[in-house]
Amino acid sequence: MLLKNTYNEFIKILSKPRSYLGIGALTLLVGIIIFAMKADGRSIISFVTSSFEQSLTFNGDVLNGNLIAFIILQMLIVHIPLLVALVTGDLISGEAAMGTIRMLATKPISRTNIVLSKFIAGAMYTLFLTLWLGFLALFVSRQIFGTGDLIVLNSDGLVILQDADILWRFGLGFCVAFLSLLTVSTLSIALSAFAENSIGPIVSTMAIIILFTIIGSLDVTVFDNIKPYLFTTHMASWRSFFEDPVPFSTIIKSIIILVVHNIVLVGIAVYKFNKKDIKS
Amino acid sequence: MKTLLTFLIFAVQFGAIAQEANDILNKVVTKLNTVKDYTVTANVKANIPMIKILPSKATIYFKQKDKFKIVSKGIVILPKQGFTEINTFLANKKSYLAVAGDTTKIGGVMTKLITVIPNGESSEIVLAKLWIDIKRSVIMKSQITTKTNGSVTTTYSYGDKVNFGLPSQLVFEIDVKAFKLPKSVAADINKTTTEKKIKTNNKGIITISLTDYKVNTGLSDALFTKKK
Repeated sequence: MLLKNTYNEFIKILSKPRSYLGIGALTLLVGIIIFAMKADGRSIISFVTSSFEQSLTFNGDVLNGNLIAFIILQMLIVHIPLLVALVTGDLISGEAAMGTIRMLATKPISRTNIVLSKFIAGAMYTLFLTLWLGFLALFVSRQIFGTGDLIVLNSDGLVILQDADILWRFGLGFCVAFLSLLTVSTLSIALSAFAENSIGPIVSTMAIIILFTIIGSLDVTVFDNIKPYLFTTHMASWRSFFEDPVPFSTIIKSIIILVVHNIVLVGIAVYKFNKKDIKS
Repeated sequence: MKTLLTFLIFAVQFGAIAQEANDILNKVVTKLNTVKDYTVTANVKANIPMIKILPSKATIYFKQKDKFKIVSKGIVILPKQGFTEINTFLANKKSYLAVAGDTTKIGGVMTKLITVIPNGESSEIVLAKLWIDIKRSVIMKSQITTKTNGSVTTTYSYGDKVNFGLPSQLVFEIDVKAFKLPKSVAADINKTTTEKKIKTNNKGIITISLTDYKVNTGLSDALFTKKK
């Protein structure tokens, strides 16, 4: 019954035009970034390497598909939560707004399973969005720009990763990015359980992400104790796969925190939906 | 009379020192000029503060007098100066003044220090110190100071192509204290604590091992204009 209801929920997602809005926006954004990099990518790269180029030269194809994929991922991972929340924030509250929640609750399936099926359907949509991003960022970029070593700039300096050592990093990076987006999806579903309209959970999700991101990026010691527990801090942990050596213990810690967030948020959604008064 | 005599002795002595330096440099330049072109495989190991890179391979093409090209599959970091600049600079004898200095042992080889100062203001090189193995007429060590890129010290080792004056290994020591990362790009969202900046060494070492020399094979000019 859970699987059947999940299938139904996924059909509902596919039938909504806003679901395609995210995919369309993603395609357009990636297209714009690829066009910009093709047109003026060298100057963007030189902005990063100019400090080093006073005494060194970087020979070889610095501007390649791997770098473009990394840039796309870095740029869009901040914006994709909005596209995810746009769909998943509507999953429970949309039913309430349309008045179909009562009919849904009369089905021979527990309320817990209803929430779980919505969570799984939302996760499938998030997974599709992540895979689409991966396809556009990695496959299309590599087709257009070719492959090559990847220059990654982080706060400690430049890390240059060899071409043969990159794909597994992207693969695992996308897995962690999916988990991050799944947390956003779960947050919006949890908020959706509290609301009677679609806009509230979507805006609230984005507000929480913006607030947590600002707290995380503020270089103030007073927030040092709470920063490790904010899910937004760990949303960027996919990037750690591009460090050398890879800090696996830090990544595992991030994964645990994101998984705990997902479990707690699903728990809250299940609890709230089970207590929800659908008669009034 | 005494002053004039002292001046004459000093002038003759300086002239002799300059002549000695020019003779040594001439032999080095003559040797380098026997190479019309070459192709060589380079293994580059870069140990530079704030840059992590594995050893990489490249093919270097050179043709007189200053055509230079590097082809590599991956990214290769090389010093901005130090490959051809000194050869090109020394080739024009009228553009500099050479003064002989002390003799020093470098890697067990007795060398003579030659200080080269450009005559004009237009030269990119401000000062070049060359430690030359007089017996083999090859540069063993150089310290080149330029207007825009600071100082680069290079240590040379020679193998079977010593007759052409071509090294088998180059070790560049580069000043890297000016490296600054753009904050907007380097911001690491994953860092959860406020950390103090880490002090780094201000010297970078790039070691280039050169193997499989192919000398005077008649490289075409088109090779240096074509894109990879």
